[in-house]
Amino acid sequence: MNNNWLLRVRNLTKIYGEATPGVLERTGPKFDTNICSRTGAVVAVNGISFDLYPGEVLGVVGESGSGKSTLVQMLYFDQEVTAGEVNFKPIEDGNVNLFELSNQKKRYVRNHLMGMVYQNPRDGLNFRFTSGGNIAEKLLMANVFNVGKIRIRGADLLTKTEVPIQRMDESPARFSGGMQQRVQIAKAIANNPPLLLLDEVTSGLDVSVQAKVLDLIRGLQQDLGVSMIVVSHDLGVIRMLTDRTMVLKHGQIVEQGLTDQILQDPQHGYTQLLVSSLL
Amino acid sequence: MGSLLEIVDLEKRFELHILNEKEIDALHDVSFDVKEGEILALTGKSGSGKSTLMKCIYRTYLTTSGRMIYRDGQGAVIDLASATEHEVLRIRRTEMTYCSQFLQVIPRVPAIDVVASGLVARGRSIEEARRATSVCFERLSLPAELWDAYPSVFSGGEQQRVNIARAMISRPRFLLVDEPTASLDITTKDAVIDMLLELKLAGTSIILISHDEHTLRRMSDRSLHLENGRLKEAVVYA
Amino acid sequence: MIENLKFQHSFNYAYIDEFTKKEIRRKTLKAVCIPGYQVPYSSPEMPISRGWGTGGLHLTLSLVGPDDVLKVIDQGSDASVNACNLRLFIKEMSNCAVTFDTAEATLIQTRHRVPEEILTEKQILVLQVPQPEVLRGVERHEAKTRIMHGEADYAKIWVTLYEAYVRSGTLRNGAGHPIMVNGRYVATPSPIPSWDVPNLNKARCLYLFGAGREKRIHCIPPFTRVEPLEFEDIRFKVEEFVGVRCSTSGQDKAFMDQVYADDLSSSYVINDSNFLDKLRKGPRPPQKLFTNPE
Repeated sequence: MNNNWLLRVRNLTKIYGEATPGVLERTGPKFDTNICSRTGAVVAVNGISFDLYPGEVLGVVGESGSGKSTLVQMLYFDQEVTAGEVNFKPIEDGNVNLFELSNQKKRYVRNHLMGMVYQNPRDGLNFRFTSGGNIAEKLLMANVFNVGKIRIRGADLLTKTEVPIQRMDESPARFSGGMQQRVQIAKAIANNPPLLLLDEVTSGLDVSVQAKVLDLIRGLQQDLGVSMIVVSHDLGVIRMLTDRTMVLKHGQIVEQGLTDQILQDPQHGYTQLLVSSLL
Repeated sequence: MGSLLEIVDLEKRFELHILNEKEIDALHDVSFDVKEGEILALTGKSGSGKSTLMKCIYRTYLTTSGRMIYRDGQGAVIDLASATEHEVLRIRRTEMTYCSQFLQVIPRVPAIDVVASGLVARGRSIEEARRATSVCFERLSLPAELWDAYPSVFSGGEQQRVNIARAMISRPRFLLVDEPTASLDITTKDAVIDMLLELKLAGTSIILISHDEHTLRRMSDRSLHLENGRLKEAVVYA
Repeated sequence: MIENLKFQHSFNYAYIDEFTKKEIRRKTLKAVCIPGYQVPYSSPEMPISRGWGTGGLHLTLSLVGPDDVLKVIDQGSDASVNACNLRLFIKEMSNCAVTFDTAEATLIQTRHRVPEEILTEKQILVLQVPQPEVLRGVERHEAKTRIMHGEADYAKIWVTLYEAYVRSGTLRNGAGHPIMVNGRYVATPSPIPSWDVPNLNKARCLYLFGAGREKRIHCIPPFTRVEPLEFEDIRFKVEEFVGVRCSTSGQDKAFMDQVYADDLSSSYVINDSNFLDKLRKGPRPPQKLFTNPE
């Protein structure tokens, strides 16, 4: 049972600036800052550990600057880590720290085994390519060198994410924000990754569009059984999508638990404040 | 019959950090056990701690101290108060369901899928799950034109039926039901009671919260009375 | 009076000073060792502007000796102004022999074409390259393109081929179809027509690519595997001249130019001027022809 995890994260840490001894002890919720008083170094993520199980949806909630986006960006190798270990079952049965892999192997993990959806579609999509081309890129990264197969898979994914197929050969630059986000989701799941990272995916959208994107993500989760880490400052998103939630403040986990427990019986003062701000 | 759940010295205190560290004592020295296959009723005035107790068992609330020893379907023993979240999620997924007083559902999901998803999560196909759901809805006389509608627009009684169907459809081993028959007419009320009794016959253990004398009389094997977060006397309905 | 020695002496042999020639030769050797990899080099000043063939000139001048026989081609022609000027310059600076005859030349500098006639192990073809970075179109930052080459991360260049196909129904996207060299580096063959690309594969001669403005050298050594990028189902194809014959020689099976007359009528002429001359005078020179897949 305890060995069933898909992703195991231990002591993940990111410091911007000098990583002097004691910097981790001088920051965090206890000091109400993530800036070291001696060196001015910023501790974005401070010793975070958790396990993610197959098919599980984990929420990461916290205000801006709590380190939640940095956390997923490190997992997707967008950012270098300062310290910490991540083990991932599909890679050597989880016996190797992902951050010690060669860059080429990291790219393999990124392209074959993970999907990422960013808050800003420009970070996840290349607007100089068509939407079909963007999906093709992810498939080509996984060595699918067959245009026919790429077209079929692309159309299939766009249908799944409810983007009109007629717009497959158009640049997403001309799409609405909600539709850009759908193309990004289609690209992220193109290779059926076991892990999907979602970073504030609905933040820039209108409420009605938000609802549709959330419905889509929930439907995909149910259909594909993919594990997800959902980063959001919006407890509504967390409630709708996740089984389990971690609350971050100043780079540290202040509380974690079942999502219904976090929402109905928050233990930490900060979480109580967040929940009471919800309504 | 052995006990399914043994609760020992359960305490629950809410600490409200944002209200000047105010503390609310909700449950005190609560100890009792639930036998396999019985229906245990919790009674007491509003605010006496019935729902709090039920949410503690379901782990929506964390307990302050005490133990809740649960024997799962494989015979393993788990303290629900201190089990890991993944263990609780597993128990919830495989054998324990909770039917809250008010329907809380994910928006924009049709009623039939709200209920069917419980079966799909347990590995049944969506078609099969919808068929089982239809049967259940019919017995609860939920009008067929509502099946594909969103429950958020339903009346209280209609929502309540969706809620009960959702909790019962997977035939859980352990069922927590909070006011299942409130806001239902007498016919539907009896239909709900019949269905719960059928579950019991099939081996489900149930903790029931109700204010309704009729429901209590028809259903409960045993009842516990709560007053200000403390257990008072046990009444046995024969 | 100050003596200005620089202007009292004539130029060094082959114009470039010996140290710099040595540097270019060293970089060329490195490029030969890592087929398809772009080696940065000094790209010294030349008496012509960068972008007018300086990269080719650097390579040619660092290699040429008095025993060499030089041929210079511009878009298939020995007679264009650029070809004439460069040929004259190199000859004056090195005392080498010059020729139009492809088979006779030991050193050929060319722009935008590979000769039709098969080249041998005694020959070196120097190509002038405007943009050596095949990834520049999809990635502006040099630091990133280097990482992409390092990790063989070529998905973006594949996407451009996919998009070319979606847009136009063919993989051909102007001149300079990207090639995979020795199964490792994707490179540009310089803006040669697709017609010439198959001639790079397992050739007997040495191909050198010099980009003076961009200060890069890359290379295809003899007998190196060169594959144009293509999909499993959408294959690379060369230009087809169906039902077309050269109006001068009456021959076909060579890369043709379309020539317009004043009355807007058009005719076709074989582009490679020496090849055309030989066809008109005698037997057809040896040629490697590529058959398009169905």
